[in-house]
Amino acid sequence: MRRLLSYLFMALAFMFLAVPVFAQGGETASAVNWVAIAAGFSMAIASAVCGLAQGRATAAAAEALGRNPAARSGIQFALILGLALIESLALYTLVIIFAKVK
Amino acid sequence: MTTAAPLTTDPNSEAFYSGALVRISRFMLVLAAALTAAAWWRYGWRIALGFLCGSAVAYLNFHWLKRVVSALADRATQPGQVHSSRGVVLRFLLRYVLMGLGAYVIFTVSPASLYGLFAGLFLPVAAIACEAAYEMGVALKSGF
Repeated sequence: MRRLLSYLFMALAFMFLAVPVFAQGGETASAVNWVAIAAGFSMAIASAVCGLAQGRATAAAAEALGRNPAARSGIQFALILGLALIESLALYTLVIIFAKVK
Repeated sequence: MTTAAPLTTDPNSEAFYSGALVRISRFMLVLAAALTAAAWWRYGWRIALGFLCGSAVAYLNFHWLKRVVSALADRATQPGQVHSSRGVVLRFLLRYVLMGLGAYVIFTVSPASLYGLFAGLFLPVAAIACEAAYEMGVALKSGF
């Protein structure tokens, strides 16, 4: 059963590959829009890195609050500013993408 | 056997940080009003409306972020008490839903307003920059 499923998925993968291979023949093939592809990748990378950065900042702030609860106001203030500025980095990427991809 | 000392916070730093957050919120309101009027005068009402929507979303986003961080700090500093995390997580996720919904509605209704919306979403950054300039001015005036 497992082998049958693996053959099935391999056949499906070949079928998905075959469609663009056949589509590329002929004179009327359109050029690949690399800007759009790069925009998708850059947005994905920016979102992932911003998510990681927010997670790390929050984890560090929670750890610092646990160690020193008396410094709560300062840590909270720094965390709010940090999260707002990290979020804006993903927005910068989105704006650049909208400016470049029409 | 020793008892744990009660937690004390420095009242000066508490006042400074809470004052800074309040100032940032006020800077956001002032900047939103002033820049919406400027956008209306310079680019027309469509861009100004987009900017106003973006500013409203950014203000709400910042307000909910403050509440989420405050709830997180409550949980971290008072581990004995049981807090409901459902509202905190819901509010954190609702920010992104609201932002996406606003962008989608404006994109379908008037794509020209989308640039205004994006500019409005940067309102917290501008307000933080204003707060930094204000604190620098106060520090320079008081001679550090």
